[in-house]
Amino acid sequence: MTTTAHSAATDAPARATTGRPAVVVRDLRQKYGDFEAVRGVSFEIRPGELFALLGTNGAGKTTTIETLEGFRRPTSGTVRVFGENPYGQPASIRERTNAVLQGSGLLEDLTVRETVDLARDLAARPRGTEEVLEMVNLTDKRGLAVRQLSGGQKRRLDLALALVTSPEVLYLDEPTTGMDPEARIDTWRIVSELKKDGVAVLLTTHYLEEAERLADRLAIMHRGEVRVEGTLAGVLEGWGDRVAFAVPEDVRTADLPELEGAELSVETRDQALWATYTARSGDASERAHRAVGALLAWAGEHGTVLRHLQVRGASLEDVFLSVADGAADLL
Amino acid sequence: MSPTTAPAPTTRPSLGWFRRTLRLTRAEFTLFVRYKTAWLFLAMPLVFLFVTLQMPDDEVLDGVGYAELSVAGVLGTIGVLVGIGHASNVFTARRESLVLKRLRVSGVPPLVIFGATTAIIVFFSLVVAAVMVGLIAVLLGELPRDPLMLALAVVLSAVSMTMVGLLLTPFVRNAEGAQMVSVLPMMVLLLMGGVFFPLDLLPDTVRQVVELLPVAPAAQLAQAAYTGYDVFGGYQGAGTPGYLGLWAAALPSLLVLLAWTLALALAVERRFRWDPRQP
Repeated sequence: MTTTAHSAATDAPARATTGRPAVVVRDLRQKYGDFEAVRGVSFEIRPGELFALLGTNGAGKTTTIETLEGFRRPTSGTVRVFGENPYGQPASIRERTNAVLQGSGLLEDLTVRETVDLARDLAARPRGTEEVLEMVNLTDKRGLAVRQLSGGQKRRLDLALALVTSPEVLYLDEPTTGMDPEARIDTWRIVSELKKDGVAVLLTTHYLEEAERLADRLAIMHRGEVRVEGTLAGVLEGWGDRVAFAVPEDVRTADLPELEGAELSVETRDQALWATYTARSGDASERAHRAVGALLAWAGEHGTVLRHLQVRGASLEDVFLSVADGAADLL
Repeated sequence: MSPTTAPAPTTRPSLGWFRRTLRLTRAEFTLFVRYKTAWLFLAMPLVFLFVTLQMPDDEVLDGVGYAELSVAGVLGTIGVLVGIGHASNVFTARRESLVLKRLRVSGVPPLVIFGATTAIIVFFSLVVAAVMVGLIAVLLGELPRDPLMLALAVVLSAVSMTMVGLLLTPFVRNAEGAQMVSVLPMMVLLLMGGVFFPLDLLPDTVRQVVELLPVAPAAQLAQAAYTGYDVFGGYQGAGTPGYLGLWAAALPSLLVLLAWTLALALAVERRFRWDPRQP
């Protein structure tokens, strides 16, 4: 049921991740009464690496993060942060981790500056208030009360509070929800910088583009289970390349050729019949070429034209939607 | 099974508990001053002060009227109003708005979070007590005989009642709920405090039980501190045992309060919920 796409040597070069994993989750299960919210999830995050946890609402992402944050004791399985059990936030790890929560958690009566100052003064190895406000572009809002900020500005302040303690492990639970596109791109830049500094990041998001840009590895969760896991390239590779065209009017569906290592599906789109070949097997870097070559040869032999010919790799959205539909169960 | 992970570097300095608590207390002060509902909890003991001042001032002890005793008792119950009211209110609101979770994930230990709130409640309880002493001095011309014992009564009452306030938070889902639910223990504890009617009126066994609750000892400490009389065994036949004698007489009440504070603090440590999501 679980599709694990292991990265081949041909994948994008691995990030400069060093050392042993900062976060290790092994067969984590979380039960609330009869309901099992998380059913056997495993992953690791190394310093300098971003692991994206994707999935539909209620897939168990936040429960997994809350377990790592130390708010929940695993029903079974192990969770380790720097080699320690995070439950109850032991002193040895709580100052080395931080998070952007799904909800905000800001004191509305304080000003932006007071909020960051307080977090800075409570931290063991803080960044400066000005530096952090500059990073999230809130310098000109520092005198405002938190209650006067817009949703997107509050989200940037949430990020500032996570940055101010200079964490080595950072949990980001939908950090860019409510941000405008510019702030979102700023956030991606900040997170990329953190990765370069060796921070281990766990990200959940509903923006697949965010995961595509930032994630070194990702997992798609559905109903408490990891259904797909691997590097972005590895995950997409498993889903194959698609070659599609409008079926020529003089060709019957049954007469469309069979291609080795590719699967044919035919559907009606805009009142026209479309054929899609999904090439999954063979050398990933050449399979699209081979499929197109065979189809063009076939078209030449039959004296016909493949109109609107398209070639594309699978997108993360294709993978996500098929997992969310439960279609992944059929694979 | 223990998966191998990178070892924790030991270079990171650990911030002192005391310094952090002091820093968070400063923020609590700012928040308290900016939060109008908090002022309401401060005003309530003053209202009770004026209510008790209206009581008939029949002489109960030599040179001490009933009104004066009641007024002094109110000083010992400031904590019930400010502690239960403020702590249950803000901690419920902060849990629901994820402020507590935010503090925890950024590495602030529970002791610092509880400590700062307790400190600010103690501070404002002492401020209200000072204002009340000033008012009593002006209106009744009486000053406390033992200010230290009075301050201790106010502090212990504030700390133990803050713990009661914290213990209420797991049972309510929002700040409005906290305000409603906190009224009941507040009223029960105030009635059991011996401020609005003398505990002498209760049957002996009931009185002995009530004196083991955390409010009556604080009120009695305040009354003893104010008047210099050993009121711990009731008003009848109470004498003035002198400075050290009064402290000796106060010892059981102090121990009861300390025991409650410890037990309540342990209960908070076990029962407090940081996360609004139901498990």
